[in-house]
Amino acid sequence: MLIEARGIEKIFPAPPLSGGEGLRALAGADLEAGPGVLGIEGPNGSGKTTLLKILAGILRPDSGEVLADGRPEPPRRLRALAAFCPASPRGFYFRISAIENLRFFGALAGSSPEDAAAAAAKFAPRLGLSGTDLGRRFDRLSEGNMQKVSLLRALARRTPVLLLDEPFRGLDAAARSGLLAILKELSPATAILIASHDEHFLREAAPRTLRLFPAGGGAGR
Amino acid sequence: MNTLRVAAAFLRKDFLAETSYRLSFALGAAGTLSGILIFYFIDKLFGGAMAAHLTPYGTGYFPYVFTATAFFGYIGTGAGAYSERLRLEQAQGTLEAVLSTPVTTGSFLLALTAWNFLFATFELLVYALSAVFIFSLDLSAANWPAAALVFFLSAACFASLGILSSCFVMLFKRGNPLAWVLNNFEGLLGGVYFPVTLLPPWLAAVSDILPVTYAVRAFQLTVHKGAGLGAVKGDLLALVLFDAVLIPAAVYLFHLSTERARRSGTLGQY
Repeated sequence: MLIEARGIEKIFPAPPLSGGEGLRALAGADLEAGPGVLGIEGPNGSGKTTLLKILAGILRPDSGEVLADGRPEPPRRLRALAAFCPASPRGFYFRISAIENLRFFGALAGSSPEDAAAAAAKFAPRLGLSGTDLGRRFDRLSEGNMQKVSLLRALARRTPVLLLDEPFRGLDAAARSGLLAILKELSPATAILIASHDEHFLREAAPRTLRLFPAGGGAGR
Repeated sequence: MNTLRVAAAFLRKDFLAETSYRLSFALGAAGTLSGILIFYFIDKLFGGAMAAHLTPYGTGYFPYVFTATAFFGYIGTGAGAYSERLRLEQAQGTLEAVLSTPVTTGSFLLALTAWNFLFATFELLVYALSAVFIFSLDLSAANWPAAALVFFLSAACFASLGILSSCFVMLFKRGNPLAWVLNNFEGLLGGVYFPVTLLPPWLAAVSDILPVTYAVRAFQLTVHKGAGLGAVKGDLLALVLFDAVLIPAAVYLFHLSTERARRSGTLGQY
């Protein structure tokens, strides 16, 4: 699948009655990515996460459009086409196990809970996550293992577009190698976009890299 | 199919999360009846004073307040649970993750409070069993089909109010004027703890614009007097009108507030 962003602009409004100004995160970002891995780099505040969230249909842009295979797609359709792995693994239910979290989010994405669990279990050992880890309550996992579960949630959806925000954060060397191998395997059929400050691993994962500049500086891509 | 799957996933997740707080879960289940005992003793002390106001219902104070509390406990779940659950998802940081999936607004709304409604059903069962086996209430006159219709219309109406209330949570996080009204006035002015005929005229006029007034009155009449649909048609019509306006408005406004949060980038904020 070919995913495209055209002229994406995003300004986060200031909180009501705060007297502050809105924050311009993207000022006309363009991007095109087909099967393979595309790296996205840029300094803090350059809009990497914002761009990934717009591509994932989580955020709505103020202007511009996102196209899949040349067709403009509404955010809900994008949420079905793209799986997003956020930079922070905060978006999990800490009182239930990792595998129950994966079953839950799998069901919301349209899989049966069993399929979601099986898909996650397929990738888990390659990231160094055991069955015991998956059965452990989420708040008892180390931060690195939380990040692995977060990656599994996105990988298990098997969507044609995979959006990974700082995927290497907190991973040990074996897990990083495992993730690189998984990405290599998926890349012939999946458009994978990775935003990261880890230049070494970004270069290793992505043959092509796009650099974002802060929108306040006048450049959007 | 997908809505059922989403609802089942929420039920399983909430059951596991709630039962992980073992003491709270046990206290919640055991506490269902504690409130009702207060009314039992109030009835012993002052019950006769309200006899005139209870004549239309053909029952005493304790049976009146018992059925009203059980009924309001269930329909009130819809009014309170949406904003409570949504706020919890915001605070946990899971709201954005849930709404990052292709789940529809309708499925999300049906699933979000499924656990609360299941637990409320369990509480209703406890009320029903205690009515029969502990307090020996006489409900032999009840018109259960009519009561069920009132119950269904009322639950839908209060769920809609709850969804409207959760729009404030989606947009402002804290500060929910509708929840404040629902929490503080519905029980007081709607005839849950005493018949609304006890209210002074100016407050009775306020109670006339609250759906709970029609819901409780119709439910009490069908349960205690065995009133048929004809006898409560005015209250039923009011509930149907509330539903016709509130259900589509609530779903639409919730969708709009979610889209606004997507635009302002506040889905992940608390």
